[in-house]
Amino acid sequence: MSHPVSTCALCPRLCRPVCPVAVGSGREAAVPTAIASVLWDHARGRVSDALAASAASLCVDCGACRSFCQLDAPFPDHLRGARVALAGALPHAVPSPEPLRALEGSGVTCVIETDGRPFGDALSQRLQRSVRRWRTGDALGVAAIDGMDLKGPHAAQIRAQASGLALVVAHGGVAKVLSRLGVPFTWLHELVPSISGVASCCAPGAAAPLGCCGGAGPLVVQHPADARRVAQAWAARAEPGVRVVDARCQAHLAAAGHAVPDAIDSLIADLA
Amino acid sequence: MTPQLPEDVPSSVDPLDLRAASRDLWPGGTLDFVQGVAAPEPDRVFLPRDAGEVARVLRWAAEAGVPVVTYGAGSGVCGGARGMAGSVVLDTKGLDRIGPLDRDRWTVDVEPGVLGQHLEDWLAARGFTLGHSPSSIWCSTVGGWVAARSAGQLSGRYGVIEDMVLRIEAVSPARGRFVVGDGGDAPEAWWPMLIGSEGTLAVITRVRFRVWPAPASRWLRGYAFDDLPTAVRAMRRLVQAELWPAVIRLYDPVDTRVGGRTKSKDAPEHAPKESDGWLARMLDAVDARRALALPLALPGLVNRLFDAAASGCLLIVGFEGDPGVVDAASRAASALLADEGATDLGDGPGERWWRSRHHVSYKLIPIFEAGGFADTMEVACTWARLVPLYHAVRKAIGHTAIVMAHMSHVYPEGGSIYFSFAGRGDRRAYDATWRAALEAVLAAGGTITHHHGVGALKAAAAAAEVGPAIVGWHDARAALDPTGTMNPGRLFVEGDPRDPPVDRLDPAVDGLVLVPAEASYDERQSAATSVLGELMWPWRTLPAPQPWARMPWQSGPMEVRARVGGRPCVLGRGPRSATGPDLRPWLLERGTNREVTLAVAASGERWMAEGVVAQPWSVAQELLRADLRPAVLTVVDGRLRVGFRGPAAAAMGALARARVPELEQVPYTATASPGGPLVACALDDPNVIWVTTNSAFRVPPTVLEEPMLSLVGAEAP
Repeated sequence: MSHPVSTCALCPRLCRPVCPVAVGSGREAAVPTAIASVLWDHARGRVSDALAASAASLCVDCGACRSFCQLDAPFPDHLRGARVALAGALPHAVPSPEPLRALEGSGVTCVIETDGRPFGDALSQRLQRSVRRWRTGDALGVAAIDGMDLKGPHAAQIRAQASGLALVVAHGGVAKVLSRLGVPFTWLHELVPSISGVASCCAPGAAAPLGCCGGAGPLVVQHPADARRVAQAWAARAEPGVRVVDARCQAHLAAAGHAVPDAIDSLIADLA
Repeated sequence: MTPQLPEDVPSSVDPLDLRAASRDLWPGGTLDFVQGVAAPEPDRVFLPRDAGEVARVLRWAAEAGVPVVTYGAGSGVCGGARGMAGSVVLDTKGLDRIGPLDRDRWTVDVEPGVLGQHLEDWLAARGFTLGHSPSSIWCSTVGGWVAARSAGQLSGRYGVIEDMVLRIEAVSPARGRFVVGDGGDAPEAWWPMLIGSEGTLAVITRVRFRVWPAPASRWLRGYAFDDLPTAVRAMRRLVQAELWPAVIRLYDPVDTRVGGRTKSKDAPEHAPKESDGWLARMLDAVDARRALALPLALPGLVNRLFDAAASGCLLIVGFEGDPGVVDAASRAASALLADEGATDLGDGPGERWWRSRHHVSYKLIPIFEAGGFADTMEVACTWARLVPLYHAVRKAIGHTAIVMAHMSHVYPEGGSIYFSFAGRGDRRAYDATWRAALEAVLAAGGTITHHHGVGALKAAAAAAEVGPAIVGWHDARAALDPTGTMNPGRLFVEGDPRDPPVDRLDPAVDGLVLVPAEASYDERQSAATSVLGELMWPWRTLPAPQPWARMPWQSGPMEVRARVGGRPCVLGRGPRSATGPDLRPWLLERGTNREVTLAVAASGERWMAEGVVAQPWSVAQELLRADLRPAVLTVVDGRLRVGFRGPAAAAMGALARARVPELEQVPYTATASPGGPLVACALDDPNVIWVTTNSAFRVPPTVLEEPMLSLVGAEAP
């Protein structure tokens, strides 16, 4: 593997569809390749520290690009280091607010794996509400589950996250905890009998590429526009907390109603 | 007075956004980037959220005299989507809605900023597919597909992008918002102008696509041939036999050898991955990132070594769809290929290709890292010209670049060649390689691009190819963008006029017959009979029905030869061209001494049946939706008539009879199909004369003449 900046700066933006910031904001500058190209030029003295820091701060460190990358380029690791090294170049010790723009209007609280970055705090300030963070210690935790091909499923999950960034949940972490406890993801089905077919791309033992709890309905990978509408509908119920377990089954999400997030919150609280 | 900037439209002057919009995936730009040459940046990036905002941006830009570059995901490889100095970029990714999906008509509406993979995921979740699978599907948008004439890896079954589009909504500076295609309000003559216009005429704001249920079965298999000409002949026979495989990929001997493409499907993942990444395979073989400089610096020697070491080539064939149809077609294909001397390699090569079919672009990274350049050129021509063109290009650039090729889009009328090449040097060397390659293609009678489009890279060669028919594009521009606001300097850059290449049509090989454009149905059919068999698509009148009123495999005239202003002009030098908009309809209307080539079905097996059924056109549509592709599908005197040709004719006939027991076999009769233009109507309309999977059609109550001249003076927004 070459240096990640080199690999990513010369890559034709193949991880673009899984980057939640690039998809959610529509900004070409947020595509990992675009960020890498700035860092490439920065390393050669062609752009300023401030510009490089600004580019590096577009990333929310979800790790999706690396999970998707067929070359397994460790770009998130490099970016993390770059942000630390360039922190002083930014006018404020917070990431660029640009990623947050995509979050505005979603009306729901997000949980984001921040991995030590102050993103959650900045997000909280921006949205003027508390933001729950649940750290897993390894981006989203999904990579820690053995024996799973995470390329496709993870990509699907991140696309769901990219749905207006309203649906971000430490989903992989949930799956990880459940996996360690030996609890199959069908627990949702058991917990909430009215839920049929809530899917999990990270369900232990799930059939590739997408797992499902076994409900009767079809799996639906939501497009951002759809997911946004779903998220807004959830937000309209004016309930605090994380709303969505998995964004891929619009019909089942609707059927799940209020029970799913409550159930998850309860479970997480119990596990904690 | 200075026009007021549309401040209600989201936009950015953030240096990061301007910088990002200054690059697309043109390898020449990547070479510049690596070598420290800064790309010119636009002044502003707009991110409109709907067609109304697009219209406001275009109106302002036209009044202010500011060029507009439309940008999707920047996946273009010809430099056509890069922002330019003094321009504004209109980024379409804010237009990202999908739907509605019409489950009855099998259509979906999509906005242009939707990424290809997101669309396919969305459809898959609902049990459908567009069937468009370009290797760039992860990094390209729907709007870019249409604007630059994309083609996907399953084109044999689903067609190329213009076969999938049923309706386009667009905005131009002069016209404002308009709709063309199925149910559109704008002149139909604008349809062929929009697809492939690469942002030079209008911004596409919504597209209606034909979709298909997700295929119930898929069959992939690899075959080995001793040499390229034999394999090309087999491939030609396969498509001219009307078996319609979804996938055909023939790798030349070098690509086959370097790619190691004949490994089993269970080859470990860490092994070099199957893809178009031919060069990276070579690099893998010699751990070449460190050793790259030498082979890239000695391309002539490397090419000779490869030629000496390589022999035999691999053909991958794939079918998907209804299990019965897939079974019948794949059996016939296997038998035909065996007859041509193929060695059956089993399903390994095909399965391995399928798994990594979108990985090609990862392979180019190390070449640029090593200070080299890598690029691809996809061209097309008729069958008789295919192998000579292949050799001509290899000879033209073999001294400056390592070059090899595969052929992955083929049609009864001809095929495309996808060259991959890599060399070492700066932009001067890169540009010289491209000039030589394009000259070789033009001289050999091919079209310079099959599906990558033109951009800035091929703009001069594109103008040379279309010759005097460029007037058609000027006409369209005068109507839609008279101030030249849209992507100026891209698509066509006129140079010295040149005559088209010498005619080399070989009817028996090419499966084409040349006739006057005014020839009657009987005259066209007679001409076809004299050379091979019968017209493959016997439209009663020309032109054929509009593209949205045909299925992907039903072709109209291919080559159009005419004179414009006394100069000879030949368009359609391959079965499909991405050299800008399709100017053939304009040439047919405005040229003189017009001739066209039409596909001819060779003699061979035939099957036909007729029967009386209730709502025969509804039954006809059901047959199309069942993946059957009849050569004849019509209603004659109230009786449904279904006919098949080729080695699978009887098997397909049996499948049709299984679905429609009323069908009784009758002697095969070549049967005319209605010509265009047609209008959509209800399936139970008593005047139905034609169906597709999506619509029924009838003759318009009044045939409206829409000459290209009507483009001029269109209404202002």
